[in-house]
Order: sequence, then C-alpha cells, then structure tokens
Amino acid sequence: MIALVRMRLAGFLRGGRALAPLIAVLVVLGVLYGGGASPAGAAYGYSAAALFPVLAWLAKVLLDTEPDVQRRLVRLAVGPVREGVAGLLAAVLAGAVVCAAAMLAPWLFHGIRGPEAGSGESSIGAGVLLGVQAHLLSLIAAVALGALSGRAVTRRVLPGVATLITGSILVIVLGLSSSIVPWLVPPVMAMARALNSGVSPAASTLAQLTAWALAWSAVALAAYGTLRRNRS
Amino acid sequence: MLFDGVWFRYARRAPWALHDARATVSPGETVVVLGPNGAGKSTLLQLAAGVLLPSRGAIRDRPPIVGWVPERFPADQPFTLRGYLHAMAALRGVTPATADHWIERLGLAAHTGTGLGALSKGTAQKVGLAQALLVPPGLLVLDEPWEGLDAQARTLIPEIVAEVTGAGGAVLVSDHRGEITGLPGAIHWSVAAATLHVAGTVAAQVTPAPPRSSTADKEMVRAGADEVVVEIAVPRAEADATVVRLRDSGHHVLRVRDHAAPARPEREAR
Repeated sequence: MIALVRMRLAGFLRGGRALAPLIAVLVVLGVLYGGGASPAGAAYGYSAAALFPVLAWLAKVLLDTEPDVQRRLVRLAVGPVREGVAGLLAAVLAGAVVCAAAMLAPWLFHGIRGPEAGSGESSIGAGVLLGVQAHLLSLIAAVALGALSGRAVTRRVLPGVATLITGSILVIVLGLSSSIVPWLVPPVMAMARALNSGVSPAASTLAQLTAWALAWSAVALAAYGTLRRNRS
Repeated sequence: MLFDGVWFRYARRAPWALHDARATVSPGETVVVLGPNGAGKSTLLQLAAGVLLPSRGAIRDRPPIVGWVPERFPADQPFTLRGYLHAMAALRGVTPATADHWIERLGLAAHTGTGLGALSKGTAQKVGLAQALLVPPGLLVLDEPWEGLDAQARTLIPEIVAEVTGAGGAVLVSDHRGEITGLPGAIHWSVAAATLHVAGTVAAQVTPAPPRSSTADKEMVRAGADEVVVEIAVPRAEADATVVRLRDSGHHVLRVRDHAAPARPEREAR
C-alpha cells in the first residue's frame, strides 16, 4: 500500500501534470490575500472553500495520471481494494501539502491579523485550529468528488470534466445560505460562513458541520467504491 | 479455471465482444488463443486475467496470483526501467533483487536507466513480461507476446511458458501470426466473430468439461505416423484466417513461416 502511494505520487510529480492545478492554487491564494487582513478563522474559512474545486481537480489529475493499463496491472498486483484506497490516500496526501501551503501563505502576505480588542474574536491560535479543521473537511470532500470524476469511473474524458465542474459549481450554488437543499453538497460554504465573523462558532455548530462533511464524503466515497467495483 | 458462460460487452447497448464462452483451463496447461484482429482474443484474455469483469456469467477458480502481459505495455510513465520494475516488485511484496533477476534474464540490463517512454517496442514488451513474472504466477496471460521481439527473445517465451507450466501454473497466450508451434503440447482455442471455439467446436455447444484437450490431442499424436505435411502458400494478410479455418476443419497446423525460410529438418525427414 505504502509502496503504491509512493509510486503514484512519484508518477504525479514527475509527470508534470501537477502544474496546472498548482497554478490555480496560486491564483486562488493571490485573490484571497491580495486585499486587507482578516481574523485567522475568517481567512482560513474562505481559503478552504475557495480551494475546494482546485483540490478536487488536483485529485482527479493525480488519479488520472496513471495509464489505464498500468492501473489494471496494479490492480492485479495488489488487489482492487488496496488499489482504490492507495489512490485516494495519494490524493489526500498531495492535497494536504497544498492545504498546508495555503495555510502558510497568508503569513507571507500579512493576510491575517490578531483579534481586535473587545470584539470577541477568537485568538490566532484558535483561528488556526478552526482553519485546519475547515481545510481537512474540504480536502476529504474534494478528493471524493475528484475520485468520482476520475477516468477510472467515467471512462471517457468529457463526463469526467463535466462531473468535476458540475460538482464544484453545485457546492457553491447549493451552499449559498438561501439554498433549499444544502445537504446535497458538502458544507464548505456553510463552514466559511460560520467562521466569517472571526468569532469562534458554537461547539454544536462545529460538530454539526463536521458530521455533515464526513457523512457527505462517506456517501461519495462509497459511491466511488461501488462504481469502481464494476470498472477496472 | 472455468469459463462459465462468459458474456462481455464494453458498454451497455454495445455489441457483445464475446458471447457465451465456455471452457476450462487446468493447472500446467498451455492454451493458445488464435483468431484475426478484433475477434475478441484480447477481450477473452483480459477476462481470464480478471482485468475485465464478465457482463454475464463468471470465471471460477482463477489462481490467486495472476501475471498479465498486456498487448501494449503502458510506456507513458515517468519512470526508468529499473525504477518501474523495483516499484512493481514492492507492490508484489518481493525484493528489488527479484526485479534485477528478471532484468538480467530478459536482457534488459543495458536499459535500466532509460525512461520507459524511450524504450523500443520490443524492450517495453519485455518490461511488461518482467512485471508479470516477479512472483511465479498461477496463471500467466500473454497477449501477443511475440510482437516486436527479436529472434533471440522469441525463444525466451516458450522457455518461460515451460517454467510456469512446470511449476503447476496455467498459461494463456494469444497469437495472430501462428507462432504456435514454438509451444509444444499447447491446446488451441480460436476466437472468431466474438465467439470462442474450442478445438473447432462452437464452445457454446460443448459442456464445460475439458473440451478438446486430452482426446483430440492424443488422437493427433497417434495419427502422427500417418500424417503428411502439406505446404500451402497464402497471401500474408490471409494467413490468420487460413490458420483458423484449417484448424476449425480439424487439420493440424504445424507452423506459419515466411516463404523464403527453409523447412525444418524433422519435417523434411517425414
């Protein structure tokens, strides 16, 4: 398993296909932190939401790097379950590196400020922790969407791109506060809203958002597993 | 291993690429699958390896360790030859030394640092062969293994096939050029128009019991003394179809060769 994760990450990095999504990461970060400074929680909440489509794209590109025939050879070598799980793990690892970079970036651009006295805003440390949580939840959901739009599932290029783009747009549109079916998509927008004020949200709100994000990801990953079972 | 009424198509509403294939492969057997391009040989082989899953029916009792040599090795990967085989060895849970052994054995030592994409077709084919042999397979599936190999490497295939069958493994080989005589004792299947024929019988009409193997082959051997060799010349493009047709009508095709090549001594002696 570890050997396969390593092999796929190496193929992804050496192949040069990582470049396009990484440029998108830079663009997103530039837009996010080009303006003034905001409290850590608010900045990271938006960063996690804005990175969602890029992380999903990154996951799709990583999973699509390997030629179909090589994926089948790997499946014969390690079995279908480990083949699938190792792909997801590699995508999570690559995404985690991007998230870490995204969380370091605002410190370079002075995009984060401390709490204003008397505003009730949470401390920088608490904001950073909330940011880590927001990024992780966004990352897991994004990897699930990227996996579902991978060539191993969709077989052809166009349906894969359509799945990725439709999914990313729906996450934003159905995630708006006026949405009537917000639970259809992972709560990356809801998380950004909850962190927006700079005041730490209530523990129950956080727990609810976390459970929602994990449940959505679990359903999406289960769908991925089912679809992959019939498509080598 | 049993093909139990295997049907396959590549997509819903697509035409069947294979219908109702029934056959058995026993340990130690070599099966040569013949047929023209596009007949479904590769599909059958990928189903056998477990790379494709049957749309209907099932393949039962497949050995746990399967080595598959794809028709075209996926060379579009950013690894060197050695790096790739070492990584595949790690996936199979064997040491890099095992990969080095096959690098040596298949004559790949000169290319270890070369990127997979820069390899010649025959060399890439050998990498495909090496990765399938890292662990002794219970089932070895070779899809057109002779493609692109030089004369010296061609003799390697029968050698490796003999080793795998000798260790109790089964081997499935596809071949559209009729190099089959290099594999003594092989059972012949033919695939035509998405149907598997086992020894000239429409496979669907026979029971899953070993259809041709023992009896037909033994008759052939017994009749050997009374056989004569008829040499025929056909246009190169029709060679495949002719071999399949002759075999279907019960003839024993010894080999296909280029016109200029001299006949082999033992055949002349007859």
